[in-house]
Amino acid sequence: MGFVKILSSLLIVFSSSLIGYYYGNRYSMRLENLSYLEQCIRILETEIVYGAVPLPEALTNVYLKGNKKVSCIFEEVKMDLTSNKDGDLFSSFHRVSSHLMEKLNFTKEDVELFLSLGRLLGSSDRTDQEKNFKLILNQIKILKDEALAQKNKNEKMYKNLGILAGIAIVIILL
Amino acid sequence: MQHKDIGIYENVLEYISLEISQVLRKVPPEFKANIEEIRLRNGLPLNIYCMNSDYFVTDDGLITKNKDMGKLVTKQDIIKTFQLVSNYSVYAFEEEIKNGFITLKGGHRVGIGGKVLYRNNEVEKIKNISSLNIRIAREKIGVSNSLMKYIIEHPNTIHNTLIVSPPKCGKTTILRDMIRNLSNGLEKLNFQGLKIGVIDERSELAGMYNGVAQHDLGPRVDVLDGCNKRDGTMMLLRAMSPDVIAMDEIGNIEDVEAVHEILKAGVKIIATVHGSSIEDLKSRRSLDMLIRDKIFKRYIILDNSKGIGTIKDVIDGDTFISIKY
Repeated sequence: MGFVKILSSLLIVFSSSLIGYYYGNRYSMRLENLSYLEQCIRILETEIVYGAVPLPEALTNVYLKGNKKVSCIFEEVKMDLTSNKDGDLFSSFHRVSSHLMEKLNFTKEDVELFLSLGRLLGSSDRTDQEKNFKLILNQIKILKDEALAQKNKNEKMYKNLGILAGIAIVIILL
Repeated sequence: MQHKDIGIYENVLEYISLEISQVLRKVPPEFKANIEEIRLRNGLPLNIYCMNSDYFVTDDGLITKNKDMGKLVTKQDIIKTFQLVSNYSVYAFEEEIKNGFITLKGGHRVGIGGKVLYRNNEVEKIKNISSLNIRIAREKIGVSNSLMKYIIEHPNTIHNTLIVSPPKCGKTTILRDMIRNLSNGLEKLNFQGLKIGVIDERSELAGMYNGVAQHDLGPRVDVLDGCNKRDGTMMLLRAMSPDVIAMDEIGNIEDVEAVHEILKAGVKIIATVHGSSIEDLKSRRSLDMLIRDKIFKRYIILDNSKGIGTIKDVIDGDTFISIKY
């Protein structure tokens, strides 16, 4: 009987720690994905501002050169763009952005930043595009800082909370 | 032939916003095969130019002369079409847009109208686009065959030739086909192909798209795309050793200088010019010089009295007598 109690207590502590770890980890995942997104946007900037590569091709290049975990969304946009042919880049971005929050642990602000790319890309000349890229990269830096602060604040707390909650449940049950 | 022409038309529709292209798909086949221009103007009815006349297209794809029945084109249609035409990449077509047009795959051209902004005395960009004119390029292979006997000079060279034509009478098409014939060579006339340098200032002759000529110009052609005539002449003469230099729409004094450079180098020239007759050309100072110096040995005069590209006359440049037979 004692053995079963110990085993189930361990199971409870383990699973609640896992839940805590999962919640805590979301913060570092968001930060990591924002960094990858920043990298992708920088590649896109080079393609557009310095290479003047047409957008569909530039999006594929971003997919190939960037970290696949995030860069695949650019390939999705390109696929949507070439298959729909309705002349509306923003709606392609909009369709792709619908699953970003769960897939990449993004917040609404992060998705909004991604969407703003859809509003500006390709619609103006290179000087203008460069200015817009600068603005977006500034915004992403702010978001990254915010993500880092949240990570520092919350990650440890959730992880500890998971373990402690598990122990608390065990104590109550015992 | 009609089937091919309809195919070309359907390809062009890929570049037009969904709402408009759906309407244009319903147009009767005899029009589809002959449409030369599709014109989109902000807030105005959808307009096509076909068989020397212009028509409006209704919501159901019917052709009418009544402007009030035409489908109205919205600003959104223009924006979407412009996005498709520029492949969502205005920045990649900056130079072309400054010149007022974009060349599409297939050699079709889209003219742009809107608010023009200047910086440092040159066009910086066009914004608030208000109209688009999609000109469908249809190669007319063989239209110059009957002219070749006039311009070939034995042994194996050509006379300096000027094609004179009012707008929309097919001078570029004739020139393009002449280039193709000259570069291929003509067995019938015992003429072997020549090396031809093409200065394609307005990207109409070769219709270059991503470095590939979209029109058949034969195997012995070097193209300088988007290059002005003076610079292009020097570049070709210096490096490409052409037998013939071809250029479209000469007219200003710099073009005349370029022609002189070509003659100095002993290279032959074939060109086109806007005009309806030699007398008409003489009224322009720069061209009058060329005519008086008897630089061109053949003048080919076009009009559209019997359809686009009718050869009205062929005139000898020394005697100014018609040699058409």
